[in-house]
Amino acid sequence: MLVLDGVARHFNQKAAVSDVSLTIGSGSFVGVIGRSGAGKSTLLRMINRLVDPTAGAIRFGDVDVTKLKGQQLRDWRARCAMIFQQFNLVGRLDVLTNVLMGRLNTVSTPRSLLQLWKDEDRAVALSALEQFDIAQLAGQRADSLSGGQQQRVAIARALVQEPEIILADEPIASLDPRNTKVVMDALLRINRHYGITVMCNLHSLDLARTYCDRLIGMSAGRVVFDGVPAELTEDVARDLYGLEAEELLDFEPATLPAAVPGGIAAAA
Amino acid sequence: MTSVSTSLDAGRHAIRDAAIADLGGLRARHPAAFATSVGKRVLTIGILVAAVLLALGAMVWLDFSLVRIWNGLHRLGQFAVLMIPPMPEGRFEAFSIALGETLAIAFLGTLTAAILAFPVAFLAAKNVIPNIFVHFGMRRTFDVFRSVDTLIWALMWINVVGLGPFAGVLAIACADFGAFGKLFSEAIEATDNKAVEGIAASGGGKAHQVRFGLVPQVFPVIASQVLYFFESNTRSATIIGIVGAGGVGSYLTELIRVLELKQVAFLILMILVTVAIIDFVSSKLRMAVIGKSKMV
Repeated sequence: MLVLDGVARHFNQKAAVSDVSLTIGSGSFVGVIGRSGAGKSTLLRMINRLVDPTAGAIRFGDVDVTKLKGQQLRDWRARCAMIFQQFNLVGRLDVLTNVLMGRLNTVSTPRSLLQLWKDEDRAVALSALEQFDIAQLAGQRADSLSGGQQQRVAIARALVQEPEIILADEPIASLDPRNTKVVMDALLRINRHYGITVMCNLHSLDLARTYCDRLIGMSAGRVVFDGVPAELTEDVARDLYGLEAEELLDFEPATLPAAVPGGIAAAA
Repeated sequence: MTSVSTSLDAGRHAIRDAAIADLGGLRARHPAAFATSVGKRVLTIGILVAAVLLALGAMVWLDFSLVRIWNGLHRLGQFAVLMIPPMPEGRFEAFSIALGETLAIAFLGTLTAAILAFPVAFLAAKNVIPNIFVHFGMRRTFDVFRSVDTLIWALMWINVVGLGPFAGVLAIACADFGAFGKLFSEAIEATDNKAVEGIAASGGGKAHQVRFGLVPQVFPVIASQVLYFFESNTRSATIIGIVGAGGVGSYLTELIRVLELKQVAFLILMILVTVAIIDFVSSKLRMAVIGKSKMV
Protein backbone atom coordinates (compact mmCIF):
# COMPACT_ATOMS: atom_id res chain seq x y z
CA MET A 1 0.00 0.00 0.00
CA LEU A 2 1.36 3.36 -1.11
CA VAL A 3 0.45 6.34 1.07
CA LEU A 4 1.02 9.97 0.14
CA ASP A 5 0.52 12.36 3.02
CA GLY A 6 0.34 16.09 2.33
CA VAL A 7 2.90 15.86 -0.48
CA ALA A 8 3.91 19.12 -2.14
CA ARG A 9 6.53 20.29 -4.57
CA HIS A 10 7.50 23.84 -5.47
CA PHE A 11 9.76 24.92 -8.33
CA ASN A 12 11.07 28.44 -7.56
CA GLN A 13 7.99 29.53 -5.59
CA LYS A 14 5.70 28.03 -8.20
CA ALA A 15 3.70 25.11 -6.81
CA ALA A 16 3.64 22.08 -9.13
CA VAL A 17 1.93 19.83 -6.58
CA SER A 18 0.24 21.08 -3.40
CA ASP A 19 -0.93 19.05 -0.43
CA VAL A 20 -1.74 15.75 -2.14
CA SER A 21 -2.86 12.94 0.16
CA LEU A 22 -3.68 9.59 -1.41
CA THR A 23 -3.77 5.91 -0.56
CA ILE A 24 -3.09 3.54 -3.45
CA GLY A 25 -4.08 -0.05 -2.76
CA SER A 26 -1.86 -2.88 -3.94
CA GLY A 27 -2.81 -4.41 -7.26
CA SER A 28 -4.99 -1.54 -8.48
CA PHE A 29 -4.80 0.15 -11.87
CA VAL A 30 -4.97 3.88 -11.18
CA GLY A 31 -5.29 6.52 -13.84
CA VAL A 32 -4.16 10.09 -13.15
CA ILE A 33 -5.90 12.61 -15.39
CA GLY A 34 -5.83 16.36 -15.81
CA ARG A 35 -4.57 19.09 -18.11
CA SER A 36 -0.94 19.56 -19.02
CA GLY A 37 0.81 21.28 -16.12
CA ALA A 38 -1.66 19.95 -13.54
CA GLY A 39 1.18 18.25 -11.66
CA LYS A 40 0.64 14.65 -12.82
CA SER A 41 4.23 14.07 -13.95
CA THR A 42 5.70 15.70 -10.85
CA LEU A 43 3.49 13.49 -8.67
CA LEU A 44 4.73 10.29 -10.33
CA ARG A 45 8.34 11.45 -10.37
CA MET A 46 8.17 12.19 -6.63
CA ILE A 47 7.04 8.64 -5.90
CA ASN A 48 10.15 7.34 -7.73
CA ARG A 49 12.16 10.16 -6.09
CA LEU A 50 13.38 11.54 -9.41
CA VAL A 51 11.99 14.72 -7.87
CA ASP A 52 12.14 15.27 -4.11
CA PRO A 53 9.00 16.59 -2.43
CA THR A 54 9.31 19.96 -0.70
CA ALA A 55 6.82 18.89 1.97
CA GLY A 56 4.86 15.85 3.06
CA ALA A 57 5.68 12.16 3.28
CA ILE A 58 5.46 9.17 0.96
CA ARG A 59 5.27 5.75 2.59
CA PHE A 60 5.18 2.28 1.11
CA GLY A 61 4.32 -0.31 3.73
CA ASP A 62 6.76 0.51 6.53
CA VAL A 63 9.27 2.23 4.20
CA ASP A 64 9.49 6.03 4.46
CA VAL A 65 10.24 6.72 0.81
CA THR A 66 11.02 10.42 1.33
CA LYS A 67 13.90 9.61 3.72
CA LEU A 68 15.70 6.99 1.59
CA LYS A 69 19.32 7.50 0.53
CA GLY A 70 22.04 5.57 -1.33
CA GLN A 71 21.51 1.84 -1.73
CA GLN A 72 18.10 1.95 -0.04
CA LEU A 73 16.93 4.56 -2.54
CA ARG A 74 18.17 2.38 -5.40
CA ASP A 75 16.28 -0.59 -3.90
CA TRP A 76 13.12 1.48 -3.72
CA ARG A 77 13.48 2.68 -7.31
CA ALA A 78 13.86 -0.93 -8.44
CA ARG A 79 10.58 -1.69 -6.66
CA CYS A 80 8.68 1.13 -8.38
CA ALA A 81 9.52 0.99 -12.07
CA MET A 82 9.06 4.08 -14.24
CA ILE A 83 7.81 4.24 -17.83
CA PHE A 84 8.24 7.50 -19.75
CA GLN A 85 6.49 9.25 -22.61
CA GLN A 86 9.71 9.35 -24.66
CA PHE A 87 10.64 5.79 -23.57
CA ASN A 88 14.04 6.89 -22.14
CA LEU A 89 15.90 3.92 -23.58
CA VAL A 90 19.63 4.08 -24.32
CA GLY A 91 19.43 4.36 -28.09
CA ARG A 92 22.96 3.18 -28.79
CA LEU A 93 22.61 -0.02 -26.78
CA ASP A 94 20.84 -3.12 -28.06
CA VAL A 95 17.37 -4.07 -26.91
CA LEU A 96 18.51 -6.92 -24.66
CA THR A 97 21.00 -4.69 -22.83
CA ASN A 98 18.31 -2.04 -22.40
CA VAL A 99 16.03 -4.60 -20.76
CA LEU A 100 18.92 -5.89 -18.61
CA MET A 101 19.14 -2.35 -17.17
CA GLY A 102 16.07 -3.41 -15.21
CA ARG A 103 18.21 -6.08 -13.50
CA LEU A 104 20.98 -3.70 -12.41
CA ASN A 105 19.91 -3.76 -8.80
CA THR A 106 20.11 -7.57 -8.59
CA VAL A 107 23.61 -7.83 -10.13
CA SER A 108 26.83 -6.74 -8.37
CA THR A 109 28.13 -3.41 -9.68
CA PRO A 110 31.50 -4.65 -11.09
CA ARG A 111 29.71 -7.50 -12.82
CA SER A 112 27.13 -5.23 -14.41
CA LEU A 113 29.72 -2.61 -15.44
CA LEU A 114 31.65 -5.33 -17.30
CA GLN A 115 28.37 -6.60 -18.77
CA LEU A 116 28.98 -10.08 -17.35
CA TRP A 117 25.26 -10.87 -17.22
CA LYS A 118 24.21 -14.19 -15.76
CA ASP A 119 22.25 -16.50 -18.02
CA GLU A 120 19.46 -16.24 -15.47
CA ASP A 121 19.19 -12.48 -16.02
CA ARG A 122 19.34 -12.88 -19.79
CA ALA A 123 16.55 -15.44 -19.56
CA VAL A 124 14.36 -13.10 -17.51
CA ALA A 125 14.95 -10.29 -20.01
CA LEU A 126 14.22 -12.48 -23.02
CA SER A 127 11.14 -13.95 -21.41
CA ALA A 128 9.83 -10.42 -20.79
CA LEU A 129 10.55 -9.50 -24.42
CA GLU A 130 8.74 -12.65 -25.58
CA GLN A 131 5.67 -11.61 -23.61
CA PHE A 132 5.44 -8.45 -25.70
CA ASP A 133 6.31 -10.21 -29.00
CA ILE A 134 9.59 -8.38 -29.52
CA ALA A 135 12.16 -11.05 -28.54
CA GLN A 136 13.28 -11.24 -32.19
CA LEU A 137 14.53 -7.64 -31.85
CA ALA A 138 16.83 -8.44 -28.89
CA GLY A 139 20.06 -7.85 -30.85
CA GLN A 140 18.98 -4.62 -32.55
CA ARG A 141 19.92 -1.16 -31.42
CA ALA A 142 17.09 0.49 -29.50
CA ASP A 143 17.13 3.64 -31.65
CA SER A 144 16.37 1.57 -34.76
CA LEU A 145 12.95 0.58 -33.36
CA SER A 146 9.58 2.25 -33.90
CA GLY A 147 7.94 4.15 -31.06
CA GLY A 148 5.54 1.35 -30.19
CA GLN A 149 8.35 -1.20 -30.12
CA GLN A 150 10.52 1.08 -27.98
CA GLN A 151 7.76 1.53 -25.44
CA ARG A 152 7.33 -2.24 -25.24
CA VAL A 153 11.07 -2.55 -24.58
CA ALA A 154 10.65 0.05 -21.82
CA ILE A 155 7.79 -1.98 -20.31
CA ALA A 156 9.93 -5.12 -20.47
CA ARG A 157 12.70 -3.22 -18.67
CA ALA A 158 10.19 -2.19 -16.00
CA LEU A 159 8.86 -5.74 -15.67
CA VAL A 160 12.27 -7.42 -15.15
CA GLN A 161 12.78 -5.13 -12.16
CA GLU A 162 10.13 -7.37 -10.55
CA PRO A 163 8.49 -4.17 -9.33
CA GLU A 164 5.59 -3.75 -6.94
CA ILE A 165 4.43 -0.56 -8.63
CA ILE A 166 4.77 0.64 -12.19
CA LEU A 167 4.60 4.42 -12.67
CA ALA A 168 3.75 5.22 -16.27
CA ASP A 169 4.09 8.91 -17.23
CA GLU A 170 1.99 9.50 -20.36
CA PRO A 171 3.17 6.16 -21.81
CA ILE A 172 1.08 6.42 -24.97
CA ALA A 173 1.20 10.15 -25.69
CA SER A 174 3.56 9.74 -28.65
CA LEU A 175 2.04 6.57 -30.10
CA ASP A 176 -0.55 5.85 -32.81
CA PRO A 177 -3.93 4.29 -31.89
CA ARG A 178 -2.87 0.72 -32.59
CA ASN A 179 0.31 0.96 -30.52
CA THR A 180 -1.67 2.79 -27.85
CA LYS A 181 -3.83 -0.30 -27.50
CA VAL A 182 -0.84 -2.65 -27.53
CA VAL A 183 0.92 -0.68 -24.79
CA MET A 184 -2.17 -0.18 -22.61
CA ASP A 185 -3.02 -3.90 -22.95
CA ALA A 186 0.54 -4.74 -21.91
CA LEU A 187 0.19 -2.59 -18.79
CA LEU A 188 -3.18 -4.13 -17.96
CA ARG A 189 -1.77 -7.62 -18.47
CA ILE A 190 1.09 -6.88 -16.07
CA ASN A 191 -1.42 -5.54 -13.56
CA ARG A 192 -3.80 -8.49 -13.74
CA HIS A 193 -1.29 -11.29 -14.29
CA TYR A 194 1.38 -10.32 -11.77
CA GLY A 195 -0.73 -8.18 -9.44
CA ILE A 196 1.63 -5.23 -9.93
CA THR A 197 0.07 -1.86 -9.04
CA VAL A 198 -0.03 0.49 -12.04
CA MET A 199 -0.24 4.28 -11.76
CA CYS A 200 -0.65 5.78 -15.18
CA ASN A 201 -0.85 9.43 -16.30
CA LEU A 202 -3.22 9.74 -19.22
CA HIS A 203 -4.52 12.52 -21.44
CA SER A 204 -7.38 10.59 -22.97
CA LEU A 205 -10.47 10.27 -20.78
CA ASP A 206 -11.76 7.44 -22.96
CA LEU A 207 -8.66 5.36 -22.31
CA ALA A 208 -8.73 6.22 -18.62
CA ARG A 209 -12.33 5.04 -18.37
CA THR A 210 -11.64 1.83 -20.29
CA TYR A 211 -8.53 0.64 -18.49
CA CYS A 212 -8.48 2.04 -14.96
CA ASP A 213 -10.12 0.80 -11.76
CA ARG A 214 -9.78 4.19 -10.17
CA LEU A 215 -9.28 7.69 -11.50
CA ILE A 216 -7.52 10.59 -9.82
CA GLY A 217 -8.19 13.99 -11.35
CA MET A 218 -5.64 16.76 -10.80
CA SER A 219 -5.95 20.46 -11.42
CA ALA A 220 -3.38 23.14 -10.54
CA GLY A 221 -1.40 20.69 -8.42
CA ARG A 222 -4.33 19.49 -6.31
CA VAL A 223 -6.46 16.36 -6.37
CA VAL A 224 -9.94 17.47 -7.39
CA PHE A 225 -11.47 14.09 -8.22
CA ASP A 226 -10.94 10.60 -6.83
CA GLY A 227 -13.31 7.80 -7.70
CA VAL A 228 -14.26 4.95 -9.99
CA PRO A 229 -14.59 5.71 -13.72
CA ALA A 230 -18.41 5.61 -13.53
CA GLU A 231 -18.35 8.63 -11.23
CA LEU A 232 -16.47 10.72 -13.78
CA THR A 233 -19.45 12.60 -15.12
CA GLU A 234 -19.29 15.32 -17.72
CA ASP A 235 -19.56 17.94 -14.97
CA VAL A 236 -16.45 16.58 -13.28
CA ALA A 237 -14.60 16.47 -16.58
CA ARG A 238 -15.58 20.10 -17.23
CA ASP A 239 -14.18 21.07 -13.83
CA LEU A 240 -10.96 19.23 -14.65
CA TYR A 241 -10.45 20.50 -18.15
CA GLY A 242 -12.26 23.84 -18.03
CA LEU A 243 -14.21 24.90 -21.09
CA GLU A 244 -12.46 22.35 -23.28
CA ALA A 245 -14.27 19.47 -21.62
CA GLU A 246 -17.05 19.03 -24.15
CA GLU A 247 -14.67 19.25 -27.03
CA LEU A 248 -12.44 16.67 -25.40
CA LEU A 249 -15.28 14.25 -24.80
CA ASP A 250 -17.08 14.60 -28.11
CA PHE A 251 -14.30 15.76 -30.43
CA GLU A 252 -16.57 18.43 -31.91
CA PRO A 253 -14.58 20.78 -34.13
CA ALA A 254 -14.25 24.29 -32.80
CA THR A 255 -16.51 26.91 -34.39
CA LEU A 256 -14.45 28.44 -37.17
CA PRO A 257 -14.60 32.10 -38.19
CA ALA A 258 -16.51 32.73 -41.38
CA ALA A 259 -14.44 32.01 -44.47
CA VAL A 260 -13.01 35.04 -46.23
CA PRO A 261 -14.59 35.27 -49.70
CA GLY A 262 -11.93 34.47 -52.26
CA GLY A 263 -9.46 33.23 -49.64
CA ILE A 264 -6.82 34.93 -47.53
CA ALA A 265 -5.10 36.46 -50.52
CA ALA A 266 -8.26 38.35 -51.50
CA ALA A 267 -8.68 39.70 -47.96
CA ALA A 268 -5.13 41.02 -47.82
CA MET B 1 -9.39 -5.61 -25.08
CA THR B 2 -7.15 -8.54 -25.92
CA SER B 3 -6.83 -11.63 -23.80
CA VAL B 4 -6.09 -10.72 -20.23
CA SER B 5 -4.69 -13.85 -18.74
CA THR B 6 -5.76 -14.71 -15.24
CA SER B 7 -3.09 -17.19 -14.36
CA LEU B 8 -2.89 -18.44 -10.81
CA ASP B 9 0.89 -18.01 -10.57
CA ALA B 10 0.44 -14.30 -9.91
CA GLY B 11 3.04 -12.29 -8.04
CA ARG B 12 5.80 -10.01 -9.23
CA HIS B 13 8.49 -12.69 -8.97
CA ALA B 14 6.54 -14.98 -11.31
CA ILE B 15 8.36 -13.43 -14.27
CA ARG B 16 11.73 -14.55 -12.92
CA ASP B 17 10.54 -17.96 -11.82
CA ALA B 18 8.89 -18.66 -15.17
CA ALA B 19 11.98 -17.52 -17.07
CA ILE B 20 14.32 -19.70 -15.03
CA ALA B 21 12.02 -22.68 -15.41
CA ASP B 22 12.12 -22.11 -19.17
CA LEU B 23 15.87 -21.39 -19.34
CA GLY B 24 16.48 -24.28 -21.76
CA GLY B 25 13.68 -23.21 -24.05
CA LEU B 26 14.78 -19.57 -24.06
CA ARG B 27 18.35 -20.59 -24.79
CA ALA B 28 17.17 -22.72 -27.71
CA ARG B 29 14.94 -19.97 -29.11
CA HIS B 30 17.48 -17.15 -28.76
CA PRO B 31 20.93 -18.70 -29.08
CA ALA B 32 22.45 -15.40 -30.20
CA ALA B 33 21.51 -13.64 -26.96
CA PHE B 34 23.36 -16.22 -24.88
CA ALA B 35 26.23 -17.20 -27.17
CA THR B 36 27.73 -14.01 -28.61
CA SER B 37 29.07 -12.77 -25.31
CA VAL B 38 31.89 -15.37 -25.17
CA GLY B 39 33.29 -14.44 -28.57
CA LYS B 40 32.98 -10.72 -27.80
CA ARG B 41 34.67 -11.12 -24.44
CA VAL B 42 37.60 -13.04 -25.96
CA LEU B 43 37.95 -10.28 -28.54
CA THR B 44 37.84 -7.55 -25.87
CA ILE B 45 40.42 -9.32 -23.71
CA GLY B 46 42.57 -9.97 -26.79
CA ILE B 47 42.56 -6.29 -27.75
CA LEU B 48 43.40 -5.27 -24.17
CA VAL B 49 46.30 -7.74 -23.97
CA ALA B 50 47.59 -6.58 -27.35
CA ALA B 51 47.47 -2.94 -26.23
CA VAL B 52 49.38 -3.71 -23.02
CA LEU B 53 52.03 -5.71 -24.94
CA LEU B 54 52.39 -2.90 -27.45
CA ALA B 55 52.88 -0.39 -24.63
CA LEU B 56 55.48 -2.60 -22.95
CA GLY B 57 57.30 -3.05 -26.27
CA ALA B 58 57.37 0.70 -26.81
CA MET B 59 58.79 1.22 -23.30
CA VAL B 60 61.64 -1.21 -23.96
CA TRP B 61 62.34 0.35 -27.34
CA LEU B 62 62.39 3.90 -25.94
CA ASP B 63 64.71 2.99 -23.07
CA PHE B 64 62.23 3.46 -20.25
CA SER B 65 64.04 3.13 -16.98
CA LEU B 66 62.69 3.77 -13.50
CA VAL B 67 66.29 3.65 -12.22
CA ARG B 68 67.19 6.68 -14.31
CA ILE B 69 64.16 8.60 -13.04
CA TRP B 70 65.07 7.64 -9.47
CA ASN B 71 68.74 8.63 -9.86
CA GLY B 72 67.83 11.93 -11.49
CA LEU B 73 65.21 12.77 -8.92
CA HIS B 74 67.58 14.65 -6.62
CA ARG B 75 68.46 16.99 -9.48
CA LEU B 76 64.79 17.78 -9.89
CA GLY B 77 64.83 18.54 -6.16
CA GLN B 78 67.85 20.87 -6.58
CA PHE B 79 66.04 22.62 -9.40
CA ALA B 80 62.99 23.12 -7.19
CA VAL B 81 65.06 24.46 -4.29
CA LEU B 82 66.76 27.00 -6.56
CA MET B 83 63.31 28.22 -7.64
CA ILE B 84 62.32 29.24 -4.11
CA PRO B 85 61.35 31.95 -3.47
CA PRO B 86 59.99 33.07 -6.85
CA MET B 87 61.26 36.63 -7.43
CA PRO B 88 60.93 39.01 -10.38
CA GLU B 89 64.21 40.71 -9.37
CA GLY B 90 63.23 44.01 -10.94
CA ARG B 91 61.99 42.60 -14.22
CA PHE B 92 58.26 42.50 -13.42
CA GLU B 93 57.50 45.16 -16.00
CA ALA B 94 59.47 43.44 -18.73
CA PHE B 95 57.79 40.15 -17.90
CA SER B 96 54.35 41.76 -18.01
CA ILE B 97 55.00 43.26 -21.44
CA ALA B 98 56.24 39.89 -22.73
CA LEU B 99 53.24 38.10 -21.26
CA GLY B 100 50.95 40.64 -22.89
CA GLU B 101 52.70 39.95 -26.18
CA THR B 102 52.16 36.21 -25.69
CA LEU B 103 48.46 36.82 -25.00
CA ALA B 104 48.20 38.97 -28.10
CA ILE B 105 49.87 36.27 -30.23
CA ALA B 106 47.50 33.62 -28.89
CA PHE B 107 44.44 35.84 -29.31
CA LEU B 108 45.20 37.00 -32.85
CA GLY B 109 46.37 33.56 -33.96
CA THR B 110 43.30 31.78 -32.61
CA LEU B 111 40.93 34.43 -33.96
CA THR B 112 42.48 34.32 -37.44
CA ALA B 113 42.36 30.52 -37.51
CA ALA B 114 38.72 30.47 -36.38
CA ILE B 115 37.58 33.12 -38.85
CA LEU B 116 39.30 31.32 -41.73
CA ALA B 117 38.20 27.85 -40.70
CA PHE B 118 34.54 28.66 -39.99
CA PRO B 119 33.32 29.08 -43.59
CA VAL B 120 35.65 26.44 -44.97
CA ALA B 121 34.50 23.86 -42.41
CA PHE B 122 31.03 23.88 -43.97
CA LEU B 123 32.60 22.85 -47.29
CA ALA B 124 34.26 19.93 -45.52
CA ALA B 125 31.01 18.67 -43.94
CA LYS B 126 29.34 15.78 -45.72
CA ASN B 127 25.84 16.93 -44.81
CA VAL B 128 26.40 20.37 -46.36
CA ILE B 129 28.42 19.41 -49.46
CA PRO B 130 27.54 15.86 -50.50
CA ASN B 131 30.09 16.04 -53.33
CA ILE B 132 32.83 13.65 -52.21
CA PHE B 133 35.63 15.42 -54.11
CA VAL B 134 34.96 18.76 -52.42
CA HIS B 135 34.69 17.57 -48.85
CA PHE B 136 37.42 14.96 -49.26
CA GLY B 137 39.70 17.61 -50.76
CA MET B 138 38.94 20.04 -47.91
CA ARG B 139 39.58 17.34 -45.33
CA ARG B 140 43.00 16.56 -46.76
CA THR B 141 43.82 20.27 -46.92
CA PHE B 142 43.08 20.53 -43.20
CA ASP B 143 45.25 17.46 -42.64
CA VAL B 144 48.18 19.12 -44.36
CA PHE B 145 47.90 22.23 -42.17
CA ARG B 146 47.46 20.14 -39.06
CA SER B 147 50.21 17.64 -39.69
CA VAL B 148 52.80 20.42 -39.29
CA ASP B 149 53.12 21.41 -35.64
CA THR B 150 52.84 25.01 -34.43
CA LEU B 151 56.54 25.02 -33.57
CA ILE B 152 57.54 24.02 -37.11
CA TRP B 153 55.16 26.62 -38.58
CA ALA B 154 56.89 29.20 -36.36
CA LEU B 155 60.34 28.21 -37.64
CA MET B 156 59.08 28.50 -41.23
CA TRP B 157 57.39 31.89 -40.74
CA ILE B 158 60.47 33.30 -39.02
CA ASN B 159 62.31 32.71 -42.28
CA VAL B 160 59.56 34.45 -44.22
CA VAL B 161 58.65 37.48 -42.08
CA GLY B 162 61.61 37.59 -39.70
CA LEU B 163 61.87 37.17 -35.93
CA GLY B 164 59.10 38.51 -33.72
CA PRO B 165 55.48 38.16 -32.67
CA PHE B 166 54.06 38.42 -36.20
CA ALA B 167 55.65 35.06 -37.08
CA GLY B 168 54.08 33.62 -33.92
CA VAL B 169 50.60 34.78 -34.92
CA LEU B 170 50.99 33.26 -38.38
CA ALA B 171 52.27 30.01 -36.91
CA ILE B 172 49.30 29.60 -34.59
CA ALA B 173 46.84 30.66 -37.28
CA CYS B 174 48.19 28.03 -39.69
CA ALA B 175 48.32 25.09 -37.30
CA ASP B 176 44.93 25.85 -35.75
CA PHE B 177 43.28 26.44 -39.10
CA GLY B 178 43.78 22.72 -39.72
CA ALA B 179 42.61 21.73 -36.25
CA PHE B 180 39.55 24.00 -36.30
CA GLY B 181 38.61 22.84 -39.79
CA LYS B 182 38.49 19.26 -38.63
CA LEU B 183 36.68 19.97 -35.34
CA PHE B 184 34.14 22.42 -36.83
CA SER B 185 33.25 20.16 -39.76
CA GLU B 186 32.79 17.20 -37.41
CA ALA B 187 30.54 19.31 -35.19
CA ILE B 188 28.54 20.28 -38.28
CA GLU B 189 28.19 16.63 -39.29
CA ALA B 190 26.95 15.69 -35.82
CA THR B 191 23.98 18.06 -36.08
CA ASP B 192 20.37 17.01 -36.26
CA ASN B 193 18.93 17.11 -39.77
CA LYS B 194 15.40 17.89 -38.55
CA ALA B 195 15.98 21.64 -38.19
CA VAL B 196 17.49 21.86 -41.69
CA GLU B 197 14.55 19.92 -43.10
CA GLY B 198 12.17 22.35 -41.40
CA ILE B 199 13.89 25.36 -43.00
CA ALA B 200 13.98 23.66 -46.41
CA ALA B 201 10.28 22.76 -46.16
CA SER B 202 9.43 26.40 -45.47
CA GLY B 203 11.07 27.40 -48.75
CA GLY B 204 14.52 28.35 -47.42
CA GLY B 205 17.51 28.08 -49.76
CA LYS B 206 20.82 26.37 -49.05
CA ALA B 207 22.21 29.51 -47.41
CA HIS B 208 19.16 29.79 -45.14
CA GLN B 209 19.48 26.13 -44.19
CA VAL B 210 23.07 26.66 -43.13
CA ARG B 211 22.44 30.00 -41.41
CA PHE B 212 19.27 29.05 -39.50
CA GLY B 213 19.38 25.24 -39.46
CA LEU B 214 23.05 24.51 -38.75
CA VAL B 215 24.73 27.59 -37.28
CA PRO B 216 22.51 27.82 -34.17
CA GLN B 217 23.20 24.15 -33.49
CA VAL B 218 26.98 24.26 -33.93
CA PHE B 219 27.66 27.72 -32.53
CA PRO B 220 27.93 26.69 -28.84
CA VAL B 221 30.25 23.79 -29.70
CA ILE B 222 32.43 25.96 -31.93
CA ALA B 223 32.56 28.77 -29.36
CA SER B 224 33.71 26.44 -26.61
CA GLN B 225 36.37 24.92 -28.90
CA VAL B 226 37.70 28.35 -29.85
CA LEU B 227 37.83 29.45 -26.21
CA TYR B 228 39.70 26.30 -25.23
CA PHE B 229 42.18 26.81 -28.06
CA PHE B 230 42.79 30.40 -26.95
CA GLU B 231 43.66 29.14 -23.49
CA SER B 232 45.80 26.32 -24.85
CA ASN B 233 47.54 28.69 -27.28
CA THR B 234 48.50 31.01 -24.45
CA ARG B 235 50.60 28.11 -23.25
CA SER B 236 51.91 27.12 -26.71
CA ALA B 237 52.74 30.76 -27.44
CA THR B 238 55.35 30.50 -24.69
CA ILE B 239 56.98 27.63 -26.62
CA ILE B 240 56.84 29.67 -29.80
CA GLY B 241 58.73 32.40 -27.98
CA ILE B 242 61.53 29.93 -27.36
CA VAL B 243 62.28 29.75 -31.09
CA GLY B 244 62.30 33.53 -31.30
CA ALA B 245 58.76 34.23 -32.48
CA GLY B 246 58.05 36.73 -29.72
CA GLY B 247 56.47 36.68 -26.30
CA VAL B 248 57.36 35.31 -22.91
CA GLY B 249 59.09 32.18 -24.25
CA SER B 250 62.31 33.98 -25.14
CA TYR B 251 62.68 35.09 -21.50
CA LEU B 252 62.01 31.55 -20.31
CA THR B 253 64.76 30.00 -22.44
CA GLU B 254 67.25 32.71 -21.64
CA LEU B 255 66.61 32.57 -17.88
CA ILE B 256 66.74 28.77 -17.71
CA ARG B 257 70.03 28.83 -19.63
CA VAL B 258 71.64 31.23 -17.15
CA LEU B 259 70.01 29.41 -14.19
CA GLU B 260 68.05 32.43 -12.94
CA LEU B 261 65.54 29.96 -11.57
CA LYS B 262 63.84 32.35 -9.12
CA GLN B 263 62.85 34.54 -12.02
CA VAL B 264 61.79 31.47 -14.01
CA ALA B 265 59.55 30.43 -11.13
CA PHE B 266 58.03 33.89 -10.96
CA LEU B 267 57.37 33.88 -14.68
CA ILE B 268 55.75 30.44 -14.48
CA LEU B 269 53.49 31.71 -11.71
CA MET B 270 52.53 34.69 -13.87
CA ILE B 271 51.61 32.34 -16.75
CA LEU B 272 49.67 30.14 -14.33
CA VAL B 273 47.62 33.07 -13.05
CA THR B 274 46.96 34.30 -16.59
CA VAL B 275 45.79 30.89 -17.79
CA ALA B 276 43.57 30.57 -14.71
CA ILE B 277 41.98 33.96 -15.45
CA ILE B 278 41.42 33.02 -19.10
CA ASP B 279 39.88 29.73 -18.03
CA PHE B 280 37.56 31.52 -15.62
CA VAL B 281 36.46 34.12 -18.15
CA SER B 282 36.04 31.59 -20.96
CA SER B 283 33.91 29.27 -18.84
CA LYS B 284 31.62 32.23 -18.04
CA LEU B 285 31.49 33.10 -21.76
CA ARG B 286 30.81 29.51 -22.73
CA MET B 287 27.93 29.25 -20.27
CA ALA B 288 26.46 32.46 -21.66
CA VAL B 289 26.73 31.11 -25.21
CA ILE B 290 25.17 27.76 -24.31
CA GLY B 291 22.38 29.43 -22.35
CA LYS B 292 21.49 31.85 -25.12
CA SER B 293 22.23 29.51 -28.03
CA LYS B 294 18.54 29.45 -28.96
CA MET B 295 18.66 33.14 -29.82
CA VAL B 296 21.71 33.03 -32.10
